[in-house]
Amino acid sequence: MGQLNIAVIIKLEPDFSEGNVSYNPDGTLNRAETKNTLGPHSAIAAHAAFFGKVMYGAKVSIGTMGPPMADLALQQAQQISDAEELHLYSDRLFAGADTLGTAEVLKTGIHKMKEKMDIVFSGHRASDGETGQTGPQTAWKLGFTFLGNVISYTVDMETRILRAKRLISLQGTPNIIEEIEAPLPVFISIDPTYKSSFDKVSQRLAFHKYQKEATERADNYKDYFTMFNAKELGVDETLVGLPGSPTIVYKVERVPKSTATRKAEVVDGSDPEQIKKVVAKMKEALDAMVIK
Amino acid sequence: MAEQFRHLYVVIEHEDGEFLPVSLEMIGEARRLMDDFNSKYSSKEKVVAVMLGHNIQDASKQLIEYGADAVIYSDNPELKDVRNTIHTKVISQIAQDTKTLGEIEAEYATDIQRPRYMFFAADSIGRHLSSTVLTELESGLASDINQLVIEDIEMSHQQKTGGKKETYEKTLEMYRPDFSGFLWTTILCLDNRNPAFPRYYHPQSCSIIPGVFELPKSDSSREGKIIEFVPTIDTEDLRVKVLGREVIESEVDFETPRTIVSFGRGIKEEPEQNMKLIEQLAKELNGEVGITLPISKKPYQVSSNLDTKYMIPDRVIGTSGHKTSAMLYIAAGVSGAMQHVWGMKDSGFVVAINPDEDAPIKDECDVFIKGRMEDVIPLLIEEIKKQIQIVEAV
Repeated sequence: MGQLNIAVIIKLEPDFSEGNVSYNPDGTLNRAETKNTLGPHSAIAAHAAFFGKVMYGAKVSIGTMGPPMADLALQQAQQISDAEELHLYSDRLFAGADTLGTAEVLKTGIHKMKEKMDIVFSGHRASDGETGQTGPQTAWKLGFTFLGNVISYTVDMETRILRAKRLISLQGTPNIIEEIEAPLPVFISIDPTYKSSFDKVSQRLAFHKYQKEATERADNYKDYFTMFNAKELGVDETLVGLPGSPTIVYKVERVPKSTATRKAEVVDGSDPEQIKKVVAKMKEALDAMVIK
Repeated sequence: MAEQFRHLYVVIEHEDGEFLPVSLEMIGEARRLMDDFNSKYSSKEKVVAVMLGHNIQDASKQLIEYGADAVIYSDNPELKDVRNTIHTKVISQIAQDTKTLGEIEAEYATDIQRPRYMFFAADSIGRHLSSTVLTELESGLASDINQLVIEDIEMSHQQKTGGKKETYEKTLEMYRPDFSGFLWTTILCLDNRNPAFPRYYHPQSCSIIPGVFELPKSDSSREGKIIEFVPTIDTEDLRVKVLGREVIESEVDFETPRTIVSFGRGIKEEPEQNMKLIEQLAKELNGEVGITLPISKKPYQVSSNLDTKYMIPDRVIGTSGHKTSAMLYIAAGVSGAMQHVWGMKDSGFVVAINPDEDAPIKDECDVFIKGRMEDVIPLLIEEIKKQIQIVEAV
């Protein structure tokens, strides 16, 4: 039957939760003042990997590219997934990479992991970059079948075939759930709506056992942690960082204020008389639907 | 040299031959860009639609009527459902097939290698397909674009030009709004002209947000070339089997209700309480609740039923979510970032509740209620109860 090996690629991102996030007066993110954390979509990917641990006893590894402080994200993801191997790919040469340059690092890192991977998970997209490209690009470089928007999965350990449901939403059409199957290895970008569920008692017991183990491991995460620079990783330096990035950010500007499309009447929200008039206008606007 | 790369390829999405609106929107925008391009550069580069599927010959002809100069299509039963691997392979084959490139314009047949530009839709299919195709083609990709400009750009860049000043001709400037909605980032895909690691990065590609560009009008007098591309299909690329597809009804309905009450980060002082107020306000008006993109990132701790019901991507109004033309739109604690405005600007009557009169939403509403939602919504609810009786239309 063999072992199931799962890798998760994650990202350290600005923490958008209240109290940790800081915005400049103009509404843009104040990166210097904003704390960092494991990205929420990365956390979902780690949960999906933990599902594999509970259901199939999978061995989980996690990789990330980022600054040295990204070990924090690895620790957080280990706490979720009970990973046994944590990789940080960190080098000044990687800085400024676009998604293609990042995917090259992650692909090389996944190859460097102890086990040959059967499933690689990534989050849907990063909360700051929001491209959603790094996952599929890493998949293609690995030569793995790419499955996007996956909301649930199971693995037949005998046949090594994965079954998954994908949520497809397209403009102007109702959402579709597509059920597919694919032989391992596969690369899954996990949908934001993914939720693990454990129905059987034995699964819930395994869940608690591994959760406890995850806490112990995360407390000693350094024991599982390896940092690689470009040389240690053995990447082709022309394929990573700026040289390996086809795209550059040319300029960042404030979105120009569009010309006012409406002329607002300003009313005082504390004055019940004015609110009364506003509601009368709302009623007028809605009149077609009001049946007296 | 410059003629190794010509034309703009648009990857079409469709459901059994019915185009998704974004496909035609991309054709319309491609037409506008290339008309300007051809007059500016005295050139004759084409808008080329690329369509994969089964039994699609008739549909591909319509793309000419919407503005394409040529259509390259592949018709094969294996291409009926979109499967990332095989679709990536076939689109990449098409982008590198010098024979079809030569058929588009015989006079350039000897030199042409690849398209100059390439468009995909920024949706569940195109977002991933663009990523894998551009990895296969080893070129650059920008996602979620809402404005495009083609210009000659003079620049010196440490890595791209080795610090030397260079002119990048016919460069596609790809504008994308950032997650905050207040910043606009321009992405360029540029060849490495640095002698240390020279490299072509073509096509310059992007995924385009559905609904942003105008739908073009169909013109039955337009003519163009229809070219069939017979792909090489390797059984290894057919490993994914589609077992079934089920249409699901979303719990969130922005179509039927005539009122939408949206909230943004303005709930932050008392998120739990404010979300309950918004829920109640929407209920009084028999409306649906919408949110801004930042709220879908769950920035606040609230009880789990409110969290799972409201702070979800499915409720986002804006370029990352839905577009509405509700009769009444109430924006509570919404600043009015560009992406959100795009999603609500077609509404009938717009009421904003916000303590900050400088918030951009003020320019997008009919009535601006200055105040905190904590104070304003209870007054509104009380008054609505007196004035508006809503009976659900049958």
